[in-house]
Amino acid sequence: MTIEHADLECERCELVTEHELHYAGRLLESTRCTRCGHHLTMTQRALVPAYLHDLEQRVASKPQRLYHRALRDPRTFWTTLPGAVLRQPAKFAREFWSLVRRG
Amino acid sequence: MLAAGEGRRVGHDTNKVLLPLAGRRVFTWAVRWATTLPHVSHVVLVVRDGDQETVRSTLARELPDTEVVVVTGGSSRHESEWKALCALRPAIEAGETDVVVIHDAARPLASAALFRDIILAAEEYGGSLPVIDQPALTALHDGGDRVDTRTVAVQTPQAFRAGPLLDAYTAADAEGFVGTDTASCVERYTDVPVHCVTGDARNIKITFPEDLFLAERLLAKADYDLSAAPHVRAAWRRHKAGDAR
Repeated sequence: MTIEHADLECERCELVTEHELHYAGRLLESTRCTRCGHHLTMTQRALVPAYLHDLEQRVASKPQRLYHRALRDPRTFWTTLPGAVLRQPAKFAREFWSLVRRG
Repeated sequence: MLAAGEGRRVGHDTNKVLLPLAGRRVFTWAVRWATTLPHVSHVVLVVRDGDQETVRSTLARELPDTEVVVVTGGSSRHESEWKALCALRPAIEAGETDVVVIHDAARPLASAALFRDIILAAEEYGGSLPVIDQPALTALHDGGDRVDTRTVAVQTPQAFRAGPLLDAYTAADAEGFVGTDTASCVERYTDVPVHCVTGDARNIKITFPEDLFLAERLLAKADYDLSAAPHVRAAWRRHKAGDAR
């Protein structure tokens, strides 16, 4: 679960306020206005298929993204690749856990 | 590409165009679509003071093959546009740039096809902007009588012939005029007609948190691809070949 902050317009406050945004993987899972607490969340029924669709796109585009990264900075790419590969299972486990936990 | 925001800063002060959206930052999506068109040669990104480093590292990661000039914006939209035009001035004066497209980076779903339509219309008429019909709205006279006119919502990207646009902003700078949008400055200082092009309902502006959810779903529905499809690129080349003849 990643948390970001941004200034967005709150429909309840009718003001630009700071919002806390929670992401499950690359997908936005929920938002909360830090001024009034107005909370928006994607339902579990919508989130899981959206996550799976997004995961499919992530997997399909991975070779191209790796290729570009390797071209851009080969030394960093090859030195960080083993660590990145080893981190993937834990990363996906955390994402799945955050999806399952909210259900 | 305007990514400097509107100067309203609260809380953590994070610019919404730097938020993640389906694996990229909001502002890189539209740059990606626009630059799939042949002949889109210069990209100038206007950012907020303090965002420069984040923006440069994001561009290096997400658009490594695209050359983007990053300039710091001003206190208003007009000033940010003026700074972008100053960055483009050498290319415009050298005759390398025919049309300038101004786009709000908070609209990540502006497709390559919309950019193409806008650019072609600006070449033909002088200026162009995308509009979406708003049949549920109506205009009223001061007295409350209904005005029988078409009501539309205006979007970006908006495009203008480069020379008149630069002249208009140069005149505005000399007079100290600050326009509310690009078209208002062009209308004040030039007689360039502005043509309306059918916009795209998907081309939403990220304003409310709900817009981020919607943008994610729309991108997924489009299979994360709003680039210039082969038929769009072919149509562009046919148009350009027709011009050459």
